[in-house]
Amino acid sequence: MIVERVDDVAATAMSDVFDSVFALIDDWRAAVGHALVERNGVVTAAEIDHITGQLVVPRLSHHKALIIGGGFVAARGFLADTDWHLAWWLGSGNTFRAEPDNPIPRRLQAEEDPTSDTFRDYTALEWWRVPAATMARHITGPYVDYLCTDEYTLTLTMPVSFRGAMVGVVGADLFVSDVERALLPALRSIGAPATLINASRRIVVSTDPHRPTGTILREHVGTAELACGDTGLLLVVD
Amino acid sequence: MPTPHRPATAARAAVFAPLAGGGRAELVAQRLTDAIELGLLSHGEKLPSEADMARQFGVATVTAREALEALRSRGLVETRRGRDGGSFVTSGAQARSGIAARVEALSRVEIRDMAAYYSAIATMAAELAADRATADDVAHLRELVTATDIESDASSRRGEAAFRLEIAALSQSARLVAEELRLQAEFAPLLWLSLKEQPHRDLSRESHLAVVAAIEEFDGGLARQLTARHIMHSVEWLLEAKG
Repeated sequence: MIVERVDDVAATAMSDVFDSVFALIDDWRAAVGHALVERNGVVTAAEIDHITGQLVVPRLSHHKALIIGGGFVAARGFLADTDWHLAWWLGSGNTFRAEPDNPIPRRLQAEEDPTSDTFRDYTALEWWRVPAATMARHITGPYVDYLCTDEYTLTLTMPVSFRGAMVGVVGADLFVSDVERALLPALRSIGAPATLINASRRIVVSTDPHRPTGTILREHVGTAELACGDTGLLLVVD
Repeated sequence: MPTPHRPATAARAAVFAPLAGGGRAELVAQRLTDAIELGLLSHGEKLPSEADMARQFGVATVTAREALEALRSRGLVETRRGRDGGSFVTSGAQARSGIAARVEALSRVEIRDMAAYYSAIATMAAELAADRATADDVAHLRELVTATDIESDASSRRGEAAFRLEIAALSQSARLVAEELRLQAEFAPLLWLSLKEQPHRDLSRESHLAVVAAIEEFDGGLARQLTARHIMHSVEWLLEAKG
């Protein structure tokens, strides 16, 4: 019998939290892919809003769900009637610029006219750029999302392919404070100071009060650094 | 979801940040008037619809409508009907004396007090950013600084707003970002009035690059000191101009 070490168990617990969100996003990816096949690859912005709305909105209404927003973001020129489009839905936990009488969940209103002053080319961003380059899933953040949630956020994305070409990403936003609540019990179970860092070595959560979330763990301090599945996250144990 | 920090985007984010407190139609009108006067919203630019504006400011649609009416009556926007209709910025010329009048109305001690509060937020953000920025963040920040056209008054204001907001974001504190946005909306039109003069635009560029270098060296103390000094210079210019 193989006796697993307690920090290995914790590393698995870390990846489990993210894997469950990625599993959900992967379902969305498959459903979007299926809809594309049905429509022979010709989809309008309104259609993709409808499709993603049906997938994402029920998940956002679930009060125990970790995700606070999510959807599909189209590759430039892929949709039939617009070059740029975000079919991104915001949940009831995300009150960013919400009015009391606004329907919740609601779709993110992003500027999609490239001639506008406020237009943003999202393909230059980490949550697009990295999955596009690696064709694999990616965790962006923690970061302060001041144009979408006004909160400290993690964004999980994975690429969507159709007939061999990347046509967009599916993804979800999580609040870092919710992620911290979900991860702390497993981190504490290690019994030594434990810190979860992202691929840029930015701290996601730590049991060590001297290591604030958001700071960079610049040196290799721990006795062990364990990969948390293939999330790109590292568990550092002192 | 994360979005790139184009100066114009950041400046607009500040302009349309949610409002707190009473007299809201007046506050909306004031903020838009400042933005038009400073060129953050330029001649011919289309404003969001009443409904969108209401959502962005976090006010009722009727409040946004009231604010737009006030701007129309001051000749700052005009509303066109039809398919390409909407409210458009007409000119900053009529509002030109508005900020000067506000500076005149404020006492020196009030201006100093605002500056102390703003400096507390901005310098802490700079200090934390030095501890928390990655090499990628530093490269991005430097790009943001050099993308600003310091020959232009409006571009320099947008650049100033975007730089401050990006530093706040690098602090990794959602509250500092929210406070930076709120103070920009309230105080930036006065604080950065000095940017209408070329030597101050040059000084701003120099100071931003020095702050970026300090952050790159993880020198939070220096980033804080440089930020405080830059804000103080601008405030002293404002007090001098006030006479």
